[in-house]
Amino acid sequence: MVTTTSKFIVKVVLYAGLALVALAQIFPLIWMFNFSLLKSGDFFGSYILKWPEPFQWKNYSDAFNFGHVPAYLLNSIIVTVVVIAVTVVVSLMLSYVIARIDWKWNKYLAGLVMICMIVPIYATLLPNFFIFTNTKLIDTYLALILPNIAFMIPISVFIFMGFMQTTPRAIEEAAVIDGLNLLGVVFRIIFPISKPVIASVTVLTFMSTWNEFIMAVTYIRSDSFKTLPFSLIQFTGQYASNYGAQFAVMTIIALPSVLLYMLFTEQITNSLTAGAVKG
Amino acid sequence: MEQSGIDSFAPFLQREMEVTDMNKLWMDKRNIAVLITPGLLFILGLILLPILVALYLSFTNYDGVDYQFQGFDNYTQLIFHDPIFWKSLRHAVFLGLAFVLLQHPLAMFMAIITPYTGKFERILRVVIFIPSIISTFVTSQMWVSILSVQFGLINRVLGQVGLASWRQDWLGDPSIAIISIIFVASWQGFGYAYLLYYAGIKGIPSDLYEAAIVDGANRWQFNTRIVLPLMSPVIRINVVLAIVAGFKQMETVFLMTGGGPANSTQFLATYLHSKAFREGLFGYGSAISVLFVIFCLLITLVMNRLLKKDVGEF
Repeated sequence: MVTTTSKFIVKVVLYAGLALVALAQIFPLIWMFNFSLLKSGDFFGSYILKWPEPFQWKNYSDAFNFGHVPAYLLNSIIVTVVVIAVTVVVSLMLSYVIARIDWKWNKYLAGLVMICMIVPIYATLLPNFFIFTNTKLIDTYLALILPNIAFMIPISVFIFMGFMQTTPRAIEEAAVIDGLNLLGVVFRIIFPISKPVIASVTVLTFMSTWNEFIMAVTYIRSDSFKTLPFSLIQFTGQYASNYGAQFAVMTIIALPSVLLYMLFTEQITNSLTAGAVKG
Repeated sequence: MEQSGIDSFAPFLQREMEVTDMNKLWMDKRNIAVLITPGLLFILGLILLPILVALYLSFTNYDGVDYQFQGFDNYTQLIFHDPIFWKSLRHAVFLGLAFVLLQHPLAMFMAIITPYTGKFERILRVVIFIPSIISTFVTSQMWVSILSVQFGLINRVLGQVGLASWRQDWLGDPSIAIISIIFVASWQGFGYAYLLYYAGIKGIPSDLYEAAIVDGANRWQFNTRIVLPLMSPVIRINVVLAIVAGFKQMETVFLMTGGGPANSTQFLATYLHSKAFREGLFGYGSAISVLFVIFCLLITLVMNRLLKKDVGEF
């Protein structure tokens, strides 16, 4: 009797703890969504959540207009798509050589990739600013695309190598006997069978590039190249008092990621853990 | 490794021969060059070259316009006369320790009990991870609002539960701001830490559980004596990642306080950013960049060495 009661108490405490942490994780986001539908004047009450009367959808249209959401969204898409495409192809090519070809330079290549994985992105912020200024790349798409690719290559190479170590060489050996050369093997054989890992690398690259903003605020000045994070920055300066629209921008940016995650929970989980476990 | 079982059926020497033959067929240097050149260009041109440029500029007094060489002046200034630099380093260590000592134990504990929650398992996973999927710039800006003096959620909740005297200027008070930053950074990374441990636990074969139960172990014993030791490689990786993440911290601080008030939340990356891009001290900022890289390399190396000894074989 005593053990069942104490077990019950332990269970209740554990569940309450779990619920509390879960609430701490999710409640701020609920609050953000709720306030994105309130009038800016409503922000200064004492209530914690408030039913919007009426729903201020105007905040969302303000967000779109003053935050330049459509233009910046397009820039984010352009940068992210190019970065993903180049990262996948380039990393797969490099990782194939390191994983499969026996030649003396491999240990140097692997060491180089390893070191680049440890180098902090932001240590290159200043020298890259200097280099981009002198090569007229500053304030162009390339100033965002190039460093984003470079910093995704090391981790992607490691993920691809992890995959190649678990795939048998038999298919490639057969392909070589059938007369395919090295490039043929990589592009006709390895590419198609790597689809699941390509998906993982794509998810990782998407998240890192889509969410990147330190390089963006450092390298980009003109409106025509600004990415989505700038929409939010608009509302911290010029339109700082338009709290409702500011919260609406945050919700607009957060929502697609949340929806994607809910739809593809397993795939995204696999991608994210693949990166860390192999790295 | 996994195929070695299958391969051992084939005569070993013959396989060796085939592999060398195959390599000969492929060892077309031009094709190898085609495969590695683009990747090398990216990492050499956009990671290593910038580090060398930073090293070069760190010996100058470059201010964005013109520069002269001044030897190790920037480094001596940094190391011997710049308390803010050391403060930034201390904050990085604090944050790393907070991750390892507070965030990770809680994340692992949650990950261990999640599989026992039955129908709540999936929703729990999703809810805990959602903040990590959202851009740091959104969650950071959101926390600026939550901690705001004028309309912030925290001060509201404190007011509602009768603790109005506990209200604070969470980001404006130099003695509290660093704690707020560490809390928010831990909040943002919590879902990711949790997910890694959860994936690790899910990777443990279920027959181990059955075997342990048959041998008379209870859940507590199963988790402490089987799950935890099996998880130690995952824990090792996560501890290294956490300490390094503390060092590399930038985005949250940059958006929430920019290192202020009065440098009370300065980290290495924000300090280098403000020296370079606010004060225009590019040479000095380059010296910080160089030391930043060295610290990151050293800390990764040291952590790997230390933890390798601890864990041993399983």
